Amino acid sequence: MLAALAAVPVLIALAVRLSSRDPGPGQGPPFLDRVSQNGLFIALTGMVVSIPLFLPLTVSVAAGDTIAGEAGHGTLRYLLAAPAGRIRLLAVKYAAAVVFCLAAALSVATAGVLIGSALFDVGPITLLSGDTISVGESLLRLFLVACYVGLSLLGLAAIGLFISTLTEVPVGAMAATAVLAVVSQILDNLPQLEWLHPWLFSHHWLGFADLLRQPISWDSFAANGLLQGGYIVVFCALAYSRFATKDVLS
Amino acid sequence: MTRVWKRWLPAAVVPAVVAGGAVLGTVQAGAATDLPDKTPQEVLEMVADSSVRSLSGTVEQTSELGLPQLPTDSPAGESDASSGVPSGVASALELLGGSHTARVYLDGHSQARVQVMDRLAERDVIRNGRDVWLYSSKQNAATHLILPEGSESEGYHGDKAWTPEDLAEHFLSSVEPSTEVTVGSDSEVAGRAAYELVLTPDSSETLVGSVSIAVDSETGLPLSVDVEARGQDAPAFEVGFTELSLETPSDDLFNFTPPPGATVTERVVEDHHAKHAKHAKGDRGEHSKDYVKYGSGWETVIGLPADEVPPELMDSPLIAETAQEVDGGRLLSSALVNVLVTDDGRVFAGSVPLEQLQAAAEGR
Amino acid sequence: MSGALPSTELAIETTGLTKRFGHQTAVDGIDLAVPHGSVFGFLGPNGSGKTTTIRVMLGLAAATSGHVRVLGQDMPASLRDVLPRVGALIEGPAFYPFLSGAANLQRFDTADRHASSATRRARVNRALDRVGLSHAAGKKVRAYSLGMKQRLGIANALLMPRELLVLDEPTNGLDPQGTREVRSLVRSLAAEGTTVFVSSHLLAEVEQICTHAAVMSAGKLVAQGTVDELRRVGLAHVKVQTPDTEGARRVLQRLGLAPEPPNSNNDGGSTVRAPLADHAVEPESIVAALVAEGVRVRGFAVENSSLEERFVALTGEGFDVVQ
Repeated sequence: MLAALAAVPVLIALAVRLSSRDPGPGQGPPFLDRVSQNGLFIALTGMVVSIPLFLPLTVSVAAGDTIAGEAGHGTLRYLLAAPAGRIRLLAVKYAAAVVFCLAAALSVATAGVLIGSALFDVGPITLLSGDTISVGESLLRLFLVACYVGLSLLGLAAIGLFISTLTEVPVGAMAATAVLAVVSQILDNLPQLEWLHPWLFSHHWLGFADLLRQPISWDSFAANGLLQGGYIVVFCALAYSRFATKDVLS
Repeated sequence: MTRVWKRWLPAAVVPAVVAGGAVLGTVQAGAATDLPDKTPQEVLEMVADSSVRSLSGTVEQTSELGLPQLPTDSPAGESDASSGVPSGVASALELLGGSHTARVYLDGHSQARVQVMDRLAERDVIRNGRDVWLYSSKQNAATHLILPEGSESEGYHGDKAWTPEDLAEHFLSSVEPSTEVTVGSDSEVAGRAAYELVLTPDSSETLVGSVSIAVDSETGLPLSVDVEARGQDAPAFEVGFTELSLETPSDDLFNFTPPPGATVTERVVEDHHAKHAKHAKGDRGEHSKDYVKYGSGWETVIGLPADEVPPELMDSPLIAETAQEVDGGRLLSSALVNVLVTDDGRVFAGSVPLEQLQAAAEGR
Repeated sequence: MSGALPSTELAIETTGLTKRFGHQTAVDGIDLAVPHGSVFGFLGPNGSGKTTTIRVMLGLAAATSGHVRVLGQDMPASLRDVLPRVGALIEGPAFYPFLSGAANLQRFDTADRHASSATRRARVNRALDRVGLSHAAGKKVRAYSLGMKQRLGIANALLMPRELLVLDEPTNGLDPQGTREVRSLVRSLAAEGTTVFVSSHLLAEVEQICTHAAVMSAGKLVAQGTVDELRRVGLAHVKVQTPDTEGARRVLQRLGLAPEPPNSNNDGGSTVRAPLADHAVEPESIVAALVAEGVRVRGFAVENSSLEERFVALTGEGFDVVQ
């Protein structure tokens, strides 16, 4: 799955490289028009393109598989009889999902940087504010962006973990989690539901742009962290309660 | 059975605690503070004496005018930043839609930077002495304006358009005998204790119900402005600091070099424009080159001749989809502002009922 | 490790154990008593609640009511102390198909907090060796046959020295050779002092290896005891082989026995069978009486009932499983 994610920036890079026509300013996904001048922007374009669907999808697969996958294989009963301890198993599974979230975001960024520097010139990056920063700092900012995106997905991973304790069919848990990710984004785009927007776990997903301003605006990082933290706490509590009382019959 | 019950306890308690925390957080943000009482006159003097010239902060602006949200990349919205000379109508339209967040850095009269933080994009206005840079990340385009000589220390009206101070000044200039000025309950804005100045127009000929201005208790700096429409409870328009620091921002912020690859437009602002800018800012009841004012105070109506109306405005979806046919033209109606587009292309706008717009249109 | 309480005589003890799923009662108030050191056969037709009982015993499912004690401690309260001492094969083996047999065992062993990682490799190899899977240790489980998976499942239960082994249908899918191996494995484990709890629907298996047994039917425990006791509870028969069947019947009736009607067996009508109720009559005296009456006795035997008869009597015949 990480390889599939890494393929996103690679595809973008190849498409831009092979097409004769440069995208005009403001055309296509954000940052795409800068790619031919600076390969580092591939990482950002890849991130923007992956956030709405690819990243949530892979995270849904990883998180939805946590408990339901073991149940589906029938191995859950052996893990519990080993005994793994239900809380411990849940904690290990969520930790693995967290690692996956970060790895997913990092692999998009890393693949973007690698393919970008292979196919295009690499130079100082222009921030949204119009200021220019050195390559070294650009890489640091990209790392921060990847961390931000990884963090953004933790709430979804917690939801996936909870859904995964509800069923023995991993595909069902994965699909339900992915659907929730899409629904949340749709709701986030309905102006009629503006009161709801700050509470949606996808609300700050594109907020990593704030890390590309000069000076860095940490507001959305903090707000996002708080929001994701809330989702993590709530859904891990639900997952714990559900899993601790669940009859394992698979 | 009790075991099972205990294990469901976290599932019930944790969401409740989180929800409670969230609610508490919102409530605390508006928690009342207690300041020594002041009369409206004293607060007004505080504002007048305010000498804050250096600050960095985040400003949030929200409009609930009952209009459909403008796409942020609509031609009308962008014309503001790219043309460099904010035409009254375009900036009004810009303010009509949704909510915006901007970071504002001010250092004295001659250095300023405003960053309007759009989604995955940013629009910057950077002023350093006579140099004014306008940059839009979406277009990767920069405009360089050079202000006339001698204006280094003068305010450039583009700088502060985003601060509550600017709007507060505008409303305070409307204070006249027909306006009731009171001091409301003390509040907290951007973590600072503030007096609340409430302006209530006496006149029934305006759509404005009341204007609340939060005034910093230490410096007299207006921290937020809420405008309520007549007959509405929620503010129809709000602008205020969410974060504020009175320290002098870093000098680097005001040094702008257009990034490589950006399209740069050079423009020189003539004296005439500087004068015009001054007119636009505060003076009332006067003829300027491109618009006419009728009435005064809350009932002011602005008229724009047909040749001054940006053509893209008339094609914008906002006008096309939401304007309703009325006598003599089409009306764009909102909680706070009515805009009449006459059949011959002129535009009349004001915080007044339709009849007054029609009267102004017929008068000329 | 376990306190020397009297009840620790029992490796597994349930009292009034009941498990309901919605309106369906899967296990209905059973009182199991599995003595330490026994090889305990847990019999019952498919769907009689055996696996559900095992799941509740191992803390995988919560009992609706009743109590379970395993190795002298309450379940599931002492789950963490008890389960490391229990090896289990629950409702067939389950593994990650994309991992090798050895890797699967290592993964399960990692899940057990008490299992030392230093000895993991050695223990996995020993367990694989014990079930005869050493040659296939590096093979992906996907490529295993059903019998190999079954053995791997048993190997998983043997990763650590266990005080109690719970084996649910351990010979499922095994060929006769494998079945025999499992049987000898169970015997050798029992000889080491491990209590083995074997659930099965195969009577012959239980009869051959078990010291104790219990029979489940439709969620209820219908019989429990040593295998000998269970056999004895079933009625013994006397079987008289004689050409003088009429005379033999008469004598048996006079002795208070109730001979079965003739031709109930297909041995040409030369055998008379009669249930020997409660050993009221000494078998020896029957022979004496028969001879005294001039009945020509060619053969005489006292037959204890087989466990199978007992089983069928308790749970019903064939497929008409009681629900």
